[in-house]
Amino acid sequence: MRYQRPGLDLASHLLLAVGCGLFFLPVWLAFTASTHSMSDLYANVAPLWVGDAGLSNYARLIHDPVGGLGTDVLRLLANSMVMALGIAVGKIAISLLAAYAIVFFRFPLRRLCFWLIFITLMLPVEVRILPTYEVVADLHLLDSYPGLILPLIASATATFLLRQFYLTIPPELVEAARIDGAGPWRFLRDILLPLSKTNIAALFVIMFIYGWNQYLWPLLITTNADYLTVVVSLKRLLTTGDALVPWQDVTATAMLAMGPPVLVILLMQRYFVKGLVETEK
Amino acid sequence: MATLQLSALQKRYANGFVALHGVDLAVEDGELIVIVGPSGCGKSTLLRTLAGLESITSGELTINERRVNELEPAERDIAMVFQNYALYPHMSVFDNMAYGLKNRGVPKDDIRRRVNATAELLDLGALLDRRPRQLSGGQRQRVAMGRAIVREPQVFLFDEPLSNLDAKLRVQMRLEIRRLQKRLKVTSVYVTHDQTEAMTLADRLVVMNAGRVEQCGTPMALYERPATRFVAGFIGSPAMNFLPVTVHGERLRLPDGGELALATGLESGSELTLGVRPEHLVALDEGDATTDAGAVIRATVEMIEPLGADTLAYARMEGLDELLVVRLHGEHAAGEGSVLRLWLSPERCHLFGDDDRRIEAHHATPVTGARG
Repeated sequence: MRYQRPGLDLASHLLLAVGCGLFFLPVWLAFTASTHSMSDLYANVAPLWVGDAGLSNYARLIHDPVGGLGTDVLRLLANSMVMALGIAVGKIAISLLAAYAIVFFRFPLRRLCFWLIFITLMLPVEVRILPTYEVVADLHLLDSYPGLILPLIASATATFLLRQFYLTIPPELVEAARIDGAGPWRFLRDILLPLSKTNIAALFVIMFIYGWNQYLWPLLITTNADYLTVVVSLKRLLTTGDALVPWQDVTATAMLAMGPPVLVILLMQRYFVKGLVETEK
Repeated sequence: MATLQLSALQKRYANGFVALHGVDLAVEDGELIVIVGPSGCGKSTLLRTLAGLESITSGELTINERRVNELEPAERDIAMVFQNYALYPHMSVFDNMAYGLKNRGVPKDDIRRRVNATAELLDLGALLDRRPRQLSGGQRQRVAMGRAIVREPQVFLFDEPLSNLDAKLRVQMRLEIRRLQKRLKVTSVYVTHDQTEAMTLADRLVVMNAGRVEQCGTPMALYERPATRFVAGFIGSPAMNFLPVTVHGERLRLPDGGELALATGLESGSELTLGVRPEHLVALDEGDATTDAGAVIRATVEMIEPLGADTLAYARMEGLDELLVVRLHGEHAAGEGSVLRLWLSPERCHLFGDDDRRIEAHHATPVTGARG
């Protein structure tokens, strides 16, 4: 929509700029704080401009185990990455197959299956956290990657989204493929996957960020620093007892923790938007 | 090259609805059979059971004398052209045509050769790298045909392939399909609800109604001797006029009180339906002599539809609720409100009993008086 009113244009841009500024300010403050030394930070008010200790702060975090955590930030990032990727890929794989079964196959209790999946939308991790913990503990999966990933791997949202997309595929396309000799797996691989790739990309972005931002679950089941994720570590860094909070480390870790999700969005933005707004047919 | 045999083919859906009540049909090698009927008559279901997309409840389907009831669509060696083309949107024209061959494990060189040859045949050579969305309706239609042809199947199945095209293109593609089918000599079954398409394409026409085959024969045979009132009304455009008549000895009493010499052998008082096509009602000019052999109907024109070569007149006949449709010459001067004298020739009349089946009648020729 475009109106021929220069004043309106100006006002909207101004509003946008203010909005952007508001959102960007905390990030900027975190960034500047991460480039000062600890003494600097405690001697002065929050700095608005970059300091001179940036490189050394980041280098220290990456090379040496962080005080109070027992591991370096690279390890934390790697753990988060494994968990987020595992959750995103796992969720997509499972939802893809679940939606495929629900839409394209006739089997008894098909509708019931769909509604059972749908109902789990109402049961997020927090609601079922105690029984889930029990199960994971019994399976000896505490402090392990599978323990971080598996309980979060099923997704009603993704199943529902893919189901809605599959329903728009004309039945003749399925029939044409059957006549062309494509069995169920080949149809999935040759027709369905290529057609749903933008949806999958959009889901990947959402699910990756969901996985990366998990806090409560990893906090509960990881006691070993080798499996600590970066988001959980941020909170740990703040609880120092009597010692001063190392704000330069906290902010630098936060900056590093922001990196991968931002990268994923930047790289997949095009597909992300496409997958959410249009269906390719 | 293949023959197709349907014996007592029945299709009952899980909800109990019977879509096909035992269809028998034998399709000769290289023949183009057109199945025509109103929507919901089971013609698409029949085609889909032939394709293997629907299971067969009972009866037998054989292709080249091999029972295929239980075979998957891909194993039946058939190809199908869908109404909405059903091209794979993410594949190029080449890949669309090649996909079936690829799945059958045809060597790459063979695929390329066959796709190129088919593209040549259909004038698609320049479009092979395009995606379906970059093609016009007619081009998509040709790709869908190409996808069927390239497989070199035993049987082609067409499911209303032209109904998404505009009128001009439809005529063009109709000729194209006819030409290709004659050239490739592949046994074909073609489903349509458009009776013009059906008449022009078919070697033999199958008219279906409510899950049953009403009549099967050449288009002209169905036009000239429809076996049931349904076929009579369905084949031919505009549709046949139907008049309720009563038997009076060797004559029939028309709704307006007139009589027509037509011997049925039925007892007097029997009520029948007389059918006559709009093109077989001859408008008489003043002073035209009539013979005994026919009846003259007087009807008042209520509406005129000029089509150019012909003019359709909708006329009111005494004693008849519906308007009589008459096909006049384009130059005919009939105006709305004018009275037409229409000559009804017994040779052009079709009679149907109360079971809607055709009744053979004998018209007495006035010269000899004998039954013809």
